[in-house]
Amino acid sequence: MQLNRRELMAGATAMALASQMGTARAAGAINYWHHFASQSEMEGLAKIISLFQAKYPGTKVTQEGIPNSEYMAKVSSAVVAGGKPDTGMVITERFADLVAMNGLVDLSARVKAWPGKSNFPDNRWKGLSQDGKIYAVPAFTFVDWMYYRADYFEQAGLSGPPKNFDEFVQAARKLTDPSKGRYAFSMRGGAGAFKYVIDVMEAFGSPIVKDGKPAIDRAAAIEAVTFYSDLFVKEKVVPPSAPNDSYRQIMEAFRTGQTAMVWHHTGSLSEISGALKQGTQFQTAPMPAGPRAQIARVAYAGNGVMKEDNIEDAWQWVSFWGEPEAAIALLEATGYFPASTAALQDPRLTSNKIYDAAVKTLDFGRLPNTFVGAAGWSENVVNPAFQSVLTGQSKPTDAVDRMIKGLDAAMR
Amino acid sequence: MDTGSHLPKTGMIGELSETRYWIYLLLLPSLVIILLVIAYPTIYGMAISFREMRLTRPGLNGWVGFKHYLVMIDDPVFWVALKNTVLWVTFAVVLELGLGFIAATALNRNVPGTGIFAVLILVPYFLPNVVAGHMWALLLDPRLGVINDILVRIGILNSYKAWFADPNTALAATIFVEAWHGFPFFALLLLAGLKGIPQDLYKAAAVDGAGPIAEFRLITVPMLKSVIAAAVILRVISLVNSPDLLLILTGGGPGDATQVLSLYAFQTAYKDFNFGYASALSVVMFVILMVFAYAYIRLSKIGRE
Amino acid sequence: MATLSLQNVQKSYGGLQVLHGIDVELEDGGFLVLLGPSGCGKSTLLNLIAGLDDISAGDIRIDGRSVVELAPKDRNIAMVFQSYALYPTMTVERNIGFGLEMRGINGIERSAAVKKAADLLQISHLLDRRPANLSGGQRQRVAMGRAIVRNPDLFLFDEPLSNLDAKLRAEMRTEIKRLHGRLGTSVVYVTHDQIEAMTLGTKVAVMKGGYIQQFADPQTIYEKPANMFVAGFIGSPPMNFVTGTLTSDGRLARFEAPGVRVEAPMSSGEIFRAKAAVLGIRPEELKIADVTGSMLTGTIDVIEPTGPDTIVTVRVGDQAVVARLPSRFSSKAGDGVYLRAELAGLSLFDAVTEMRIQL
Repeated sequence: MQLNRRELMAGATAMALASQMGTARAAGAINYWHHFASQSEMEGLAKIISLFQAKYPGTKVTQEGIPNSEYMAKVSSAVVAGGKPDTGMVITERFADLVAMNGLVDLSARVKAWPGKSNFPDNRWKGLSQDGKIYAVPAFTFVDWMYYRADYFEQAGLSGPPKNFDEFVQAARKLTDPSKGRYAFSMRGGAGAFKYVIDVMEAFGSPIVKDGKPAIDRAAAIEAVTFYSDLFVKEKVVPPSAPNDSYRQIMEAFRTGQTAMVWHHTGSLSEISGALKQGTQFQTAPMPAGPRAQIARVAYAGNGVMKEDNIEDAWQWVSFWGEPEAAIALLEATGYFPASTAALQDPRLTSNKIYDAAVKTLDFGRLPNTFVGAAGWSENVVNPAFQSVLTGQSKPTDAVDRMIKGLDAAMR
Repeated sequence: MDTGSHLPKTGMIGELSETRYWIYLLLLPSLVIILLVIAYPTIYGMAISFREMRLTRPGLNGWVGFKHYLVMIDDPVFWVALKNTVLWVTFAVVLELGLGFIAATALNRNVPGTGIFAVLILVPYFLPNVVAGHMWALLLDPRLGVINDILVRIGILNSYKAWFADPNTALAATIFVEAWHGFPFFALLLLAGLKGIPQDLYKAAAVDGAGPIAEFRLITVPMLKSVIAAAVILRVISLVNSPDLLLILTGGGPGDATQVLSLYAFQTAYKDFNFGYASALSVVMFVILMVFAYAYIRLSKIGRE
Repeated sequence: MATLSLQNVQKSYGGLQVLHGIDVELEDGGFLVLLGPSGCGKSTLLNLIAGLDDISAGDIRIDGRSVVELAPKDRNIAMVFQSYALYPTMTVERNIGFGLEMRGINGIERSAAVKKAADLLQISHLLDRRPANLSGGQRQRVAMGRAIVRNPDLFLFDEPLSNLDAKLRAEMRTEIKRLHGRLGTSVVYVTHDQIEAMTLGTKVAVMKGGYIQQFADPQTIYEKPANMFVAGFIGSPPMNFVTGTLTSDGRLARFEAPGVRVEAPMSSGEIFRAKAAVLGIRPEELKIADVTGSMLTGTIDVIEPTGPDTIVTVRVGDQAVVARLPSRFSSKAGDGVYLRAELAGLSLFDAVTEMRIQL
């Protein structure tokens, strides 16, 4: 990918031309954009397509994988220039932006008439609805939790995982030994850092957005950023590479034994299980509670219809993802949590203790913040602001002020 | 074409090909394509910079004049990105030119067996930015990085260093990676240039008693001047415009330590969906590049001979 | 001014030997021409003399002093290149004075030397220009100026005229000859042009395949070529080679071929019995004769008038012989013709070894 200024502009024109040709698609054939990438994800997708093909032989699905980081760039180009796919993957964090740019088709009537709807309680639809209209069908869930090294905890004489931030810091101090190259916590400070910064802010009682208006509580947010950045700056219970550590690095640190705890969601369970032994070497626990709230996200990922051209076939495809057989096929391949309650009853889930923490989290977990401009603000403002606190370039107060200012600009 | 109207069709084309219009006719297809894929998007992109165009706020569309440019003046990230762009491009080009020159000189010696080195030296340039980026992210990784391991073993470092996590080293580390990736471009062009310098000049200098430094200053550099100038301009343009390596290595962080204009424009367009402001940033880059290219050509006087 | 002595000079690149034991002596103030086709090793030899390449074996002495261990700049030589090799960024003045500049000669002294050289070469008006703004002939003069300004022991010229057109080449040839006469400095001059060799050299070394074929003054090379290669290389149109047999009784030698019969007295006393041999006759040596004095009998094939001369191709037996005859020539193609030549203008070669046979 070689992106430059001219292509940024030329791309729109070229895609407009290409899309005119692309729309001449035979009836009974639809395409599907997604950001699955790993081998297990692709296996799950292939399984679902073959199940779907068996059930609806008349509809041919063509899938197109787009790297997660470029997904929105590709979708937004398609929206500007035309050339949207029939269907596409929708995660809660991106939902508001997608609806705002007219990227999704209102599916409310079809969902109401759909027998499968009863398998999804109201909260499943909430992250995929706006102003009472439903735009996507939930397919699977990412439940936030914490992975920890059971063996390290035992060596350090800790009886169990920390339940709140105080215990978290206490445990972190005991688990850190830089001379052995060991740190307590894989902090995500690089790409994607914003997620936990926002979570900790909410745990300290500062909302982000309320009733569609910016609502950061400055004092609480400063307290939160101070607490969270101090893990790196003062307590030094975090690897020194944290300001650049993204998903790959925090997972690597945990898998290779550099860190004892990492915050992530159920999606990475199979990856960690591949490197460490469930139960003896690592365990899972709910996210620790902050002083004001216990924050863990339950993010429903679904599939939406992006244009009307082949809506019947497209609806069959996106609703099929909500059927238990599709959800179980995905669970088997990837370990991704189903969104439907029917699939949640599956013994593969209920009998495995490693999932207990996730099931518990389902009771109190929140939806991710979804508001228009969320992605841009999080990545272009929260990330650099927090990083500059980690690297000592600015103080938590400055960082929070920058976040507040950026949020105002994004929502204006 | 009155005189040709009575001729059969092939005769008309034959006749037309004799006139001076023929040249314009032959140029027409490429002219149309250039207008379509370069001129139109460029002008369109400039036009967007005077409009509000936020994908997620369809209601806000409309002309806003110089608003984006005024906002830019007060945008601290813009100034940081501008400064970083200058640093990143300057140091990368100087390093690449230096390394490229050393490589080209070595390859120009025609020592038997160096053919394989010529190919090996070019390998970095053949790697796509994305691949090179991921490769160096791993090589410099604070946990698994081979480079850290080597530096600790030979005693330069006490412990593994997170090069991209420290604002004091992040930009330098990315410049290092870029230099590694881009120097073959200079090596290739300079080698072609060196091959074009008559050996007689060096012989004459040897007879006249000029040392290696005088030879370099009085023969090699002047003879390579236009090659160097062209290569530097091409490289500067591509470095200013390409955010991909930084996107992979640091994403502009930590803080805004490695934020450059191209990356900032990219993120503004595709993360904020704010195409108006992103276009304004692109226009500023465009203007800066134009001014640079003009000044550089004037200063290096390559048009003179 | 100096003598030059090459003693068993050899050069190899890896396993490839390109010069096989070259021995040459050049007198003080002499003009040595290294003549040969491309690839014969003449330029390599010049580079060795200049010190631009290292000698593999043997010795090079300038004025009796071995220079093989010295860098080019310490051999007190000056060189003129085929491409002129002028420094493109410098003015003519600095180009000419550059060798002095590198030797630390001060500005005033340098300007005076440059001025003198420029006057000699009539390029004083060009001193402020850069090489890009000069014509080929002007560049040539600047290159020579750069050589003479240093007042060296030895001038080395590497095909200096081959980039010029015919008219300029002739002009510069005369110029070089004039300069050599004036300055009296010893010269080594590489060329593949036999006219340059004949007109300029006091000594000519004809080279081929890394060997010197003949080393002598131009007259000897022309009149008594040591072998068929030298004989064929010098002269235009080239020497005629007629194959036949040589018979002798020790006092009189007789060469015979269809349509050819030449008899000559000999002093070597050697006996030949119908030995395969080649008779060499320069076209300009041939004259029209009558039956009694003729050596060659044949029919006229082609007549090519050139103005001063007429080049006539005569078929003798099954061989072709070219004669350069006076322009007033009345015969026509198809006519029979008798030709003869002075015995002193003939050469005989062994058909197998191609070496000259001394009668």
